[in-house]
Amino acid sequence: MIGADLAILTPEIVLSLFAMAGLMAAVYTSKDGLAPALTWGTALLFVIMAFYIGITGEGSRTAFDGMFVEDSFSRFAKVTILLSAAAILAISQDYMSKAGLLRFEFPMLIVLAVVGMMLMVSAGDMLALYMGLELQSLALYVVASLRRDSVRSTEAGLKYFVLGALSSGLLLYGVSLTYGYTGTTQFAGIIAASGGEMSLGLLFGLVFILAGMAFKVSAAPFHMWTPDVYEGSPTPVTALFATAPKVAAMALFARVVHDAFGGVVGDWQQVVAFLSVISMFLGAIAAIGQTDIKRLMAYSSISHMGFALMGLAAGTAVGVEAMLIYMAIYVAMNIGTFAFILTMERDGRHVTDISSLGAFASKEPGKAMAILVLMFSLAGVPPLLGFFGKYAVLTAAVDAEMIWLAVAGVIASVIGAFYYIRIVYLMYFGEERKGLDGRMGLATYVGLIAMALVIGLGWVPGINLFGIEGPAEIAAAMLTR
Amino acid sequence: MTIGLEHYLTVAAALFVIGIFGIFLNRKNVIIILMSLELMLLSVNINMVAFSSFLGDLTGQVFTLFILTVAAAEAAIGLAILVCFFRNRGTVDVEAVDNLKG
Amino acid sequence: MSVADFTFYLFALSLITGGLFTVVSKNPVHSVLWLILSFLSAAGLFVLLGAEFVAMLLVIVYVGAVAVLFLFVVMMLDVDFAELKAEMAKYVPLGGLIGVVLIMQLTLAYGVWDTAEGVELSTVPVGTPEGAGAHNTEALGLVLYDQYFLLFQVAGLILLVAMVGAIVLTLRHRVDVKRQNPVAQMMRDPAKAMELKDVKPGQGL
Repeated sequence: MIGADLAILTPEIVLSLFAMAGLMAAVYTSKDGLAPALTWGTALLFVIMAFYIGITGEGSRTAFDGMFVEDSFSRFAKVTILLSAAAILAISQDYMSKAGLLRFEFPMLIVLAVVGMMLMVSAGDMLALYMGLELQSLALYVVASLRRDSVRSTEAGLKYFVLGALSSGLLLYGVSLTYGYTGTTQFAGIIAASGGEMSLGLLFGLVFILAGMAFKVSAAPFHMWTPDVYEGSPTPVTALFATAPKVAAMALFARVVHDAFGGVVGDWQQVVAFLSVISMFLGAIAAIGQTDIKRLMAYSSISHMGFALMGLAAGTAVGVEAMLIYMAIYVAMNIGTFAFILTMERDGRHVTDISSLGAFASKEPGKAMAILVLMFSLAGVPPLLGFFGKYAVLTAAVDAEMIWLAVAGVIASVIGAFYYIRIVYLMYFGEERKGLDGRMGLATYVGLIAMALVIGLGWVPGINLFGIEGPAEIAAAMLTR
Repeated sequence: MTIGLEHYLTVAAALFVIGIFGIFLNRKNVIIILMSLELMLLSVNINMVAFSSFLGDLTGQVFTLFILTVAAAEAAIGLAILVCFFRNRGTVDVEAVDNLKG
Repeated sequence: MSVADFTFYLFALSLITGGLFTVVSKNPVHSVLWLILSFLSAAGLFVLLGAEFVAMLLVIVYVGAVAVLFLFVVMMLDVDFAELKAEMAKYVPLGGLIGVVLIMQLTLAYGVWDTAEGVELSTVPVGTPEGAGAHNTEALGLVLYDQYFLLFQVAGLILLVAMVGAIVLTLRHRVDVKRQNPVAQMMRDPAKAMELKDVKPGQGL
């Protein structure tokens, strides 16, 4: 019995053991000297685990009395999380060693955070959800303030911590109400008890849970921590925040609303649609005045979360599929963009102001081209992949007869395109100033170019979005069945 | 009138509101904010134990057990970040900080 | 009013008072002490509900460790609190408004409390369901290490993260501090530790 349960959890167990072994090995040998090896080892292990999950996983299995669910939905989310975390570790290695942040605890904390994310997306019980969420959050609070001598980094960590803990509190209060109403914390039990007429108590529980999760995906109006935390954290950590935890939180959101509250779609649909509209517009409008590229990416992520939530608001299998495709494409675009941001340097110092991009194209035409592709894709210009992501969620919204939501999405997308195109404009036609002179390490360069190629060529008929549509469709069908 | 579930829920709700109120009231003092967060978690615990007891189901008490564990870990990390921040800034005032403007 | 009712009102009142003074008191040390009062009263309520184990855990873990940790940090950081408190009055209206709205909503929710079909509420607190174990601690132990085994392990990982995190953030190796080296102490050879010199009278070394 327990052996079979543990076999289902193999990837999580391997990663946890790796984290413990890595910590012990580093403490008893050369401490931070082992950090580069551990970083690469972690990235490699993430990739191996992603392939392991992708190849061996089949059907839907549960472990520990339904506490842990291993199905095609969780596999899709886990593979995305693992690959994006691996890519972020690979591209940030150079930056970390230059900034003197190469500490062995960093990759190990990331491993533990990833284990938390994997538990989150596989949760079949409110308790498992909470524990996974906290494992992830606590590790991320620490890495946000990793540069402990910097006021900005510790302040980012503090803000992230206070608002993260507040959101956990809201979520928990909602969970306690749900438990009181339905007498169980298992998703299967909640969906059985909540069908039909929803009592006021359970509705309150649902609202608190949605508010807590909106904090975690940084959807407006619970977004206020995002720009500060993105700007203050060390850039590799910002890159991480923009990718893996977002996927995990979105997947969790989808799982809770469908697995636990799938019987009362009408009750949460309006709330999610509201969060979606506010996020899209706020992200698009507030980003316009930004001068710091990390803050800009923060607002960009708020806006993108709004689009992903639009897929969820549809409340259908097509909507979940669109959300998963959107998140996968979003992650790829962010890895590429952050690979570039990580190497923005002037006179040996990391700079993040947008004006330093002036006339960058005349110096580095190749890289500028890659950024152009990524920025146009973030803006949703066809035929780049970003367009297909937006197209998928808009179609899902229209199919669910939420025309107003789709129209709002198109308008927000047009407003949002402005600031991405401004970056491209600056690079090609901007005034020449003392520009960037940083050199790019091999891994970072590969990350940037590979992502630009993925985004630029993904639409070609033979490639067809790299076949992610199939798994996404199966995953969505599994969740909404 | 005997003491029923609603009495406990009212106490927990009042405590939860005090916790949120405390966060807004002490926007400058992070230490009190951390204590307010503990109060919120305590109110959730009261809810959980009350439900568990009246439903005759142990899940709520197990949940409380885990919330206590996580809250202890959270307090440790929160205070560690706070100590770091204090070493850099010389204050626990989050509002005075203009480096990051939200 | 029975003794149990009286006890409930006593603990509930001290819990709310403790909570309120935690957030409004002028001195953070007082805040921590009020917080401890809240925890102790909550533990009292848990005993009334029949959850003895969680009650004792609250006293031991919360009062014994977490609250003391808070006290430690408050004392360690030399903060000028008078200055921080000066502007508190500014936030009272906003905070009060949010509080009132929330409490009204929650009263609304509890006013019509009912559970889903098939979920039975008992009229008196049960604490430990029948047949779960001889007493509360045993019953909890039986489910904790069986049904919740996975989460028990995850709790371990969370504590590991907390430990690593606290070390990463606050441990500093200062060079000017003398440290004890136990291995060197144990490997010390008494024969070599002291050199005996034969000092002749009136000559010195």
